[in-house]
Amino acid sequence: MYKKKKSGVVGIVVTVIVLILLVILSNIKIENLTFVENVFSTIVMPFQNGFTMLKNKISGNNTFFTDLDNLKSENEELKQKNSELEQSLRELEIIKAENTTLKEQMNLKEKYGEYNTVSGYVINRDISNYTGMVVINVGSDDGVQPNMTVIADKGLVGNVVSVTSNTAKVQTIVDPASSVSCIISTSKDAFITKGSINNSGREIRATYIPTDAVLVQDTSVETSGLGGIYPKGIHVGTIKEVVNTKNPTDKYATIETAVDFSKLDTVLVILN
Amino acid sequence: MKKTLSIILIFVTFLIIYFLQSNLFNWFNIAGVMPNLFVILIMVVGLFAGKYVGVSTGIIVGLLLDIFVSKKIGVTAITLGIVGFIAALLDKNFSKDSRITIILMVTILTVLYEILNYAINAIIFSYSLELVDFFIKLAIETVFNILITIILYPLIQKGGYALEENFKETKILTRYF
Repeated sequence: MYKKKKSGVVGIVVTVIVLILLVILSNIKIENLTFVENVFSTIVMPFQNGFTMLKNKISGNNTFFTDLDNLKSENEELKQKNSELEQSLRELEIIKAENTTLKEQMNLKEKYGEYNTVSGYVINRDISNYTGMVVINVGSDDGVQPNMTVIADKGLVGNVVSVTSNTAKVQTIVDPASSVSCIISTSKDAFITKGSINNSGREIRATYIPTDAVLVQDTSVETSGLGGIYPKGIHVGTIKEVVNTKNPTDKYATIETAVDFSKLDTVLVILN
Repeated sequence: MKKTLSIILIFVTFLIIYFLQSNLFNWFNIAGVMPNLFVILIMVVGLFAGKYVGVSTGIIVGLLLDIFVSKKIGVTAITLGIVGFIAALLDKNFSKDSRITIILMVTILTVLYEILNYAINAIIFSYSLELVDFFIKLAIETVFNILITIILYPLIQKGGYALEENFKETKILTRYF
């Protein structure tokens, strides 16, 4: 009897507490609960994030497993496309190189349109450090003869010293045995340039300079047309340094050639 | 038969060196200076195969080089012939088994070959002499040749003794008795 009475009182108390709580909670504005929400979020969010990630992963994996066959075939297709693109790229590179060479030849022909020329490539370079010979792929079959002038897009290369039916040996202006009669483009002072074994491979030396000649750095030098090999007006290079000596007749200048012989590739042989 | 094979081998080596000199070493160089592997080749032939083979190989290789790239035929042939001859002379006085001796021989022969070549060309083509530039280049070239000799030493020894076996008859060295 007592037990029944006691449990009834507890039930009433619990109901009253729940009721009171309901009343209180229903009357509290939501803004006043932010701090509770924050605390709750701080506790719950890491777990919630973890569970969400796990769920997403499992769901993704499921998709992967279901689409495995599709992915494999797609991968194969992409691989094939990739190899096709690589092949196209290689072909394009070859075409690009050909285009550059042809453009170079075209420019050369346009630039030196007044001359009857034949174009060629350097196929062999000198094996010695002390001479400057190159072999080109045009010979007597193309009308090339010894003593003909060889030029490149930037300027004078040298002259042909011997020919076979398909090749020609060219003595470049940097060869120590080479001599070219030149003039300064502006003042028309004449002198002789000689090849040099200087380490740069782009330097020639101007000698027999008239004592009254005025040589200024960076002045352009071109062929004078004297000597019977090189036509007049072909660009040779620019004056790099003027060296004055005690004896004015020994004065010399170094000239940087317009053509970089280490990169020389396409040349024109002047036939007339 | 073995001699023929050795000659073919020398010719193939010549072609490989020619390819390297005219292509690879145009960009693989030290301050624009290439080594001279032909001197090493002729030295090895002269040193191991004897005077006659050394001189004749030097002359033939030199002639081919003159025909391929030089202005005048004969200069390289003469100088490489001399290299082959001197290498054979060195064999009588020095040991071939020492790395240092081989390096010294390469040094001497490179310097000698280039000076001779330059002098003859300077006389023929009336060069204006640029001795400072010449010796700077020569020094770099010699160092390059020495480095290549150090690298190729095992090959030089192996190939050299194979040549010696094929070209030289077995002799009893009476001076040691």
